[in-house]
Amino acid sequence: MFEPFTDIVPSFFGWLNQGPLTLTIFLHSFIVLPMFWIYKQEKARLENEK
Amino acid sequence: MASNHLKWESKQLATWYFTFAAIIFGAQLLFGLVAAIQYVMPGFLFEIVDFSIARILHINALVVWMVFAMIGSVYWLLPDETGIETVGIKIGKLLFWVFAAAIVVVVLVYLLVQVGPADETTIWFITEGREYIEAPRWADIGIVVVVLGFIGNLYATGMKGKPTGIVTVLMADMLAFAGIYLAGMFFTDNITVDQFWWWWVIHLWVEATWEVFVGAIAAYGLIKMIGAHRQVVEMWLWIEVAMLFGSGILGMGHHYFWIGTPEYWWEIGALFSALEPLPLVAMFIHVLYDWGKQQGAAQQRGEEASVITNKPAFTWFVLQAFGNFLGAGVWGFFHTLPQVNLYTHGTQFTSAHGHLAFFGAYATILIGMMYVAIQGSNGIKVLKHTKSSIAAAWMITGGVMGMTVSLTIAGYVDVIVTRAQMGATWAGYFDGHSGMWMTQAMDWRLIMGTVTFLGFLFLIKDFLSTGKNAVHTR
Amino acid sequence: MANKSVWSDNRFWQRSAAWVTGFAAILLIWLTFDTSGQISMGSDADLKNGVTKRVPGPTVINYKITYEMDTKRGHEVPVIGAKEKFFGRDDYSEKEAGDLLHLGKLGSQAKNCMDCHTLLGNGAYYAPDLTKAWLDPAWESTGSMQAMTGKNTKEEAMAEFLQFPSKYPTHARMMPNLGITAAEAKGLVAFLKHMSSIDTNGFPRNFGKIQGALNGK
Repeated sequence: MFEPFTDIVPSFFGWLNQGPLTLTIFLHSFIVLPMFWIYKQEKARLENEK
Repeated sequence: MASNHLKWESKQLATWYFTFAAIIFGAQLLFGLVAAIQYVMPGFLFEIVDFSIARILHINALVVWMVFAMIGSVYWLLPDETGIETVGIKIGKLLFWVFAAAIVVVVLVYLLVQVGPADETTIWFITEGREYIEAPRWADIGIVVVVLGFIGNLYATGMKGKPTGIVTVLMADMLAFAGIYLAGMFFTDNITVDQFWWWWVIHLWVEATWEVFVGAIAAYGLIKMIGAHRQVVEMWLWIEVAMLFGSGILGMGHHYFWIGTPEYWWEIGALFSALEPLPLVAMFIHVLYDWGKQQGAAQQRGEEASVITNKPAFTWFVLQAFGNFLGAGVWGFFHTLPQVNLYTHGTQFTSAHGHLAFFGAYATILIGMMYVAIQGSNGIKVLKHTKSSIAAAWMITGGVMGMTVSLTIAGYVDVIVTRAQMGATWAGYFDGHSGMWMTQAMDWRLIMGTVTFLGFLFLIKDFLSTGKNAVHTR
Repeated sequence: MANKSVWSDNRFWQRSAAWVTGFAAILLIWLTFDTSGQISMGSDADLKNGVTKRVPGPTVINYKITYEMDTKRGHEVPVIGAKEKFFGRDDYSEKEAGDLLHLGKLGSQAKNCMDCHTLLGNGAYYAPDLTKAWLDPAWESTGSMQAMTGKNTKEEAMAEFLQFPSKYPTHARMMPNLGITAAEAKGLVAFLKHMSSIDTNGFPRNFGKIQGALNGK
């Protein structure tokens, strides 16, 4: 599962890049997941408004 | 373009910006034609106005007229959105003349001096030699000062008047737009570092801040021209901002595949930029959906007339919705994955994408805004099409589409022969460029470029005459 | 309206837009720091000690550069080999080589190279890509370009061509005379040699591996 590390210089992002899509899925998740929290907050606000 | 119909000075200033933009637009097309002729007849103006010079003028004029038209668009919509006269309008007018004069000097130096010795004086006074931002350093600094003045006006007006969603987005976007330019203002011996920061300017302009800008302009246009509901339009705008910046900022990775930057950019660039077409689909749906919705609502009220109050402008806005998706989205996605880009990077394919994307995403909507200004300056209630406006839309769009298809075919030859088959050497390059498919594609590009230019002449004729035409509802 | 959905709420989208934009920008800045460290130019000591840098130091002009398949990475990479004479010398100091590269890089901008050629694949498409131009077989001792200029070394042939390009046409599309001096030409060749040593992740693929023209068009 883990690919051999081929970057010339080791780095955090190079390390996350462990195989097809691993790095990008990680970054996308990190961007999208907090939106659930924003969603919950806004839902609570809309319910309170009523 | 003095007009008694404009009660806001801000709108008057906008018409200045639009006028200068239209002139530079013409220069862009003219030098594009020179470059296109040189592909077909390499001896044309050889060692007089070489391809490199024609191309510098072609792409710099492109950037300049768009920036002028963008600033004009903001000055135009500010009083409508905020409900007040633009703060600092006197400074704005002064800066217009400074900006226009600087551009004229830069262009004349490009054309008459062309190149300089390999030292810092050339970088400061003649050319920086970096594609799209060749403007010498003195002009860079001038541009930053002028744009900061414009942003000062925008912020002062936005904070004093009513800061609508559209104005809020524009305020944030224009600040980023100007700030990013600073990344292109230094010299380094390391070409990898050079190109790394160069893309900060080019990519974060055209695939992030400019896209958000046209999103905001489209939102304004829909409210003005078909009476779309502000709340709906602004919700779309926020969704577009999230999607455009969410994909576009890290989508920058697709420029970092082969310039000496680390391998992890393959993944970041591939996936984020693959998502870049999504907001363009959203914008496309948004424009057409709102149009249908407003027209349907009008029909239910028993009104048969079109809800569009500015036919030519709306035509260009709809062309933008198509063109942005097709040129930036589809043509961009074609070659954004590293597996493909290894062979398409730096070929005529890029050129095909560049032509349709710049036209589809930006030229269209800015022409639309010019029509909005013509309507306002002449006090017209419903601006209708004329024969010239229809001819212009057909010929310009058809011409650019034709150039794009030609360049795409040329791109295939470049990719397959020059790159894949011949391994990208000097000899391989000319093998690719001597083939029949390549030379014929270049012939067609020139023909289609000529059609585009003729369309531009119709456009200018319409700009100058439509205000007095009797067909419009006043 | 009984129960307004969050999905059609402007504030939700506004906050999401702010979050996504802000976070993507922070990530980009972080990545920029990481990348900047990796693409900084190496030193003469790195070259002497065999430390691989993505962008080697300017003294790389003292060495022979080749472009070879790296099976581990799955693409070609520039390989810095034994010493090689460059304009008759292979002992350029860090200062001398740096000055040459500086002159060449300035020259590449002052002459608008990028508006006909591509450098690292970026620029215009009116003339050949120069990323690995130094490694082009046409400039080798058996190559057509070196023969055409009548010079005995690759660097002298390239410098001659750069100074008098329209004397040596290779196609109906010719390079114009840009007033490049002998010193500038030397700098430009150093710049090209340095550029060919940059690790471009295997771009361009198969460079210089295929020789001879196509059989028919």
